[in-house]
This record gives sequence, C-alpha cells and structure tokens, in this order.
Amino acid sequence: MDLHDLTAAYAIDALDADEANDYEGHLARCEECREQLAELNDAAASLAFGTVAPVPPPRLRAAILDQVAAERSNVVPLRRRRWVTRGVAAATAVAACAAIVLALTVGRSNNPQIVSLGFTRGANGNATLMVSGLDPAPKGKTYEAWVIPKGKVPRPAGLFRGGKPTTVHLHGVPQKGAVVAVTVEPAGGSPAPTTTPLGTTTT
Amino acid sequence: MNRQLAHLSDEALVLLAARSEESALAELYDRYGRAAYGLALRVLRDPELAEDAVQEAFLTLWRTAARFVPERSKASTWILTLVHRRAVDAVRREQRRRTDSLDWAAEPSVEGVDEDAWLRLQRERVQEALRKLPDAQREALELAYYGGLSQSELAERLGQPLGTIKSRMFGGLSRLRELLGEPGTEVSWTSTT
Repeated sequence: MDLHDLTAAYAIDALDADEANDYEGHLARCEECREQLAELNDAAASLAFGTVAPVPPPRLRAAILDQVAAERSNVVPLRRRRWVTRGVAAATAVAACAAIVLALTVGRSNNPQIVSLGFTRGANGNATLMVSGLDPAPKGKTYEAWVIPKGKVPRPAGLFRGGKPTTVHLHGVPQKGAVVAVTVEPAGGSPAPTTTPLGTTTT
Repeated sequence: MNRQLAHLSDEALVLLAARSEESALAELYDRYGRAAYGLALRVLRDPELAEDAVQEAFLTLWRTAARFVPERSKASTWILTLVHRRAVDAVRREQRRRTDSLDWAAEPSVEGVDEDAWLRLQRERVQEALRKLPDAQREALELAYYGGLSQSELAERLGQPLGTIKSRMFGGLSRLRELLGEPGTEVSWTSTT
C-alpha cells in the first residue's frame, strides 16, 4: 500500500485505526505528506462549516470550563516554541493587509505582553511590518525582523527599537507563504537569529 | 459574556491556553463552540453524544495546547479536526450507522434553527463549493466527513475499488481547497484590518 495515497482520507478521518497509525508513522518521515496534509486539513476543516449549526446548550460551555478549572492545578508550563530554522510550511496564507495578533510573554512578567504584528504588502511589492506592544529594546539590544521564505533559513529584514508602535520597512520582498518573525538581538543586529522569536506572522 | 480577548487571533488564544489561561479557552469556545457542536451533531445525530464529543475535543485542546505549532496549522483547523475526530470515533464506537440507506449523511433541515449570520454565510459558501464538485467526489467527501464512513466502508457501500474512492476523496478535497481559497472566500476568524 502506498501511504502517500492516504493523505486525503486521513484529513477527513476516513481511515480505520490501523491505517491511521500506519499513516502517522509515515507522516513522521515524509515532509511532502506533512505539507500536503496541512493544505488538505484546512479544506477538510472548512467542511465543518458546511452544515447547519444549532446553538449548543449553555451547559456545554459550563461543563467544559468547569472541567478545565478542575484540571488547572495540574498546570503544564508553556514550552517556548522552538525556533524554526529550516523554514516553515505556512499553513495560513494571510491576504495583504491581514494582521495576526500574537500574545506573548516577554521577560518575567506574569502579565503576558501583547505583541501585535501586522504584515502589509504594498501595491509596488514592497512590504512593511507594523509592530506594537513591544517595550523599548534593553540597553545593548535591538529588535530584528526576519523573513523566512518557505523551506529556507531566516534572512535579516531590518532592525528597530520598539517602545512605541513602529512600522518596519522590510528588506526584500517576502514571497507569499513566507514567515516574518521578530527577535531580540545584540545591538547592530545578527546575521542569523540568536533568540526565540517574540512573534511571527505569515505573509 | 466577557469578550476581553476578542481582539486576539485564534493562534494567540491557543498560546494563552497553553499557559493555562482559562479565559482564552472560553474565548475559543465562544468562537468555535457552535460550529463544533453543529459538526458533531451532524456526524453523531444525537445531542448528548455531540455534547460529549465537543467537550472531549475542547479538553484535548486545553491539555495539548502547548504542542500547537502555529506555523503548521491554523488554530481553527486544529480545533475542528479535534472535534471531527472525536465525533467520528464516537459514531464508529456506537455503531449507530444505518446500513439500509445512504441518505443519513444528508443535510439536516435549516428550519427551526436560529442561524447566526456569520455561520450562515460560511455554510452557504462551503455548500456552494461542494455543489461545484463532480457528484462522485462530493458523495465520497460527504459520506466520509459527515457520515463517518471509512474509505473501506465507502468502497464497499458504493461498489467501487478502494483506489477509486481514494482518488475521489483526494480530487474532491483538493478541488474544494481551490474553490475555498479563491479571493474573498477565506473561512477565518483571524482579525483583519
């Protein structure tokens, strides 16, 4: 059996348990299938919207939140997202002018600092990143923007200080599907990111 | 209803949920709970089982939020995938499927449902895309996705070789993706400016 063939069936849960296990084993080794699955998963999930949705009983929301509160004592701390250096299969193709807002924890504060990244592609093809919610970069540090073309390593795309809403004119024109990320770097910037991104968005 | 987090993207909410922020999970439920329940009800055709499936899916979301990789998937896709999987598992477990007809995957009536305007828009858009598919592809997708049939069951039910079923599902899903990916048709809660 060619496991490549099972991607669509897996995306719509049309495999039985054994087939799904085999496919998941294959998926761990097959980048091509992972990318295809990411695409087909979005289409499959949109089928969820293709049916009439009555209002669920209010007790459902309450039951979920009660259960969550009961489990809260077993807190699993957030694992920092690993820095992606081998490029990213960007599953979200965000249209020009779409903004994704990410909530992130910066520093040791218990209150997450809300960092907002908005990517805009101009009519002439150049690109800007609007950043807000970042405190001024610490002494001897700078913020650096990165463009990560699909399947490539991060490319430096500009430095900025933060502290107030900032528009960063990105160097170069990111291709559709590229990821834009922001990190803290030593003053003067780095040729490659040295810290975990504070935020990412797709283009 | 407290919607203090309404300005955040789905992905940001999952990150907050990963930090055990209950209000983030509540906000995700407020965004997708209704679609999730509608989906589970469609697959399971039993309100109690549908509630169970949605509850299990949101608890899985809560417990595994730290493993979510935003670069890999939209949060909404992930949530609805969790719900669908639970619903399909349950329908198979319960063996509630009928063997006498195929129409149980048919669209339930809209009558009597106080439909949210946004959800209605999404439903009409997805249904329109489905109508554009060749009949055989649409049938395979609907029976599998809404009916919970496995590919082997589909092959048997439709009297077609497994390879034909696989290519119908792949062709249908790929075409659906193209149709839904056309400009202005994004199904998303992602905030836009």
